[in-house]
Amino acid sequence: MNAPFFKFGLFGDEASLIVAFVIGIGFGFFLERAGFGSAKKLTDQFYFRDMAVFRVMFTAIVTAMLGLFYLAAVGWVDLSLVYIQPTYLWPQIVGGLLLGIGFIVGGYCPGTSLVALATGKLDALVFVAGVFAGIFAIGEVWPSITGFTESSNLGRLTLPEVLHLPMGLVVFLVVLMAVGGFWGAGVLERRFAAPAAKEEK
Amino acid sequence: MSLLRLDRLSRNQKLALLAVALGLGALVLGGPRPGKIVLDERELAAIVEGEVDHVTPDELADWIVAGRQDYRLIDLRTAAEFAEYHIPQAENVAITALVDSDLARNEKIVLYSAEGIHSAQAWFLLKAKKFPAVYILLGGLKQWTEQVVFPEAPGESAGPVERIAFAKAAERAKFFGGASRAAAVAGPSTASAAPGGIGASGASAPTLPKVVPPPAPAPGGAAAKKKKEGC
Repeated sequence: MNAPFFKFGLFGDEASLIVAFVIGIGFGFFLERAGFGSAKKLTDQFYFRDMAVFRVMFTAIVTAMLGLFYLAAVGWVDLSLVYIQPTYLWPQIVGGLLLGIGFIVGGYCPGTSLVALATGKLDALVFVAGVFAGIFAIGEVWPSITGFTESSNLGRLTLPEVLHLPMGLVVFLVVLMAVGGFWGAGVLERRFAAPAAKEEK
Repeated sequence: MSLLRLDRLSRNQKLALLAVALGLGALVLGGPRPGKIVLDERELAAIVEGEVDHVTPDELADWIVAGRQDYRLIDLRTAAEFAEYHIPQAENVAITALVDSDLARNEKIVLYSAEGIHSAQAWFLLKAKKFPAVYILLGGLKQWTEQVVFPEAPGESAGPVERIAFAKAAERAKFFGGASRAAAVAGPSTASAAPGGIGASGASAPTLPKVVPPPAPAPGGAAAKKKKEGC
């Protein structure tokens, strides 16, 4: 059996919605178990008091990367069929900054806000209402900003192509980056620990 | 000795070590092996037999009206023919340039040519390159013109289902800059309110937006075209 299953027609459009639902529930469950249903924990990331967000995200990246690399190496996944989001350089930089500002101000990112809402947090309810208001607003003005949102399209880029390095080397470097990052995260946490936590020590 | 040291590591540290080991393995492997291209003739034949690789003009028209962006529509005709008329959203790729084009294997690709032979041949070219989601526009531009741009009204004996389907097709034809055609034999009782715009183009052989389509409907039916049904 070869993956990606959807591309090889193992299931159709309707079944893919069920698969997406199951994966989404699993995603939400593990976000909640990582403590990401709490705006406090999430915003602590930006003050380097708690690097759990960084650790979880980078662990997910490394796990998925190694999984895809080895599955492709043994021929179970056809990497050329995996969807790659095209790079729109400036729109994505601006969008990333906007998302980051909203993350700090609101205490959630879109996914975690839904996780927090599922556990009954009222601030998440307000956040999700804001998300939908934003979606509606951007939908209304979208036609007038496509000049920007469709600019600097660099196509589908991958690190091995951009850096002209073998994929295995990039995989190794990203793993090193992650391990170095985990070590650095510990250093930052000790240095920026919340005052209360410092006093306890 | 190394085992002793492993015991002292926390679980997270062990997992990090495992990741580094797998990373080193990746470094040695260098890259995923290029997928072996094995053509299974029986599988291809089964696809052809099952006709699952077809997209009808009706389906494609609905996709375009709905603004779907999850596929790429490829016009295999010459650049001159393409400039004359092409289906909205189509890209012109010559059949000789097909396998070297920027089409990605993770895209859904719909091919069309004037009638369908070239698109069927191009289908095999892409299948040989292991493109999994390649589709052919059934009947090519000819059937597209007849069915979508200038849909023909059903005859006198048409049931309500056919009439409703035609009404929808007639509305859609306007979206594509075309118009509906009356059935060759239309009785006087069937004349009904025709939305403006259709009648204007009715007297002469219908022309595709900006262009004369190569397989334009025969002008022989011109007299009947004044009558519209079911709009």
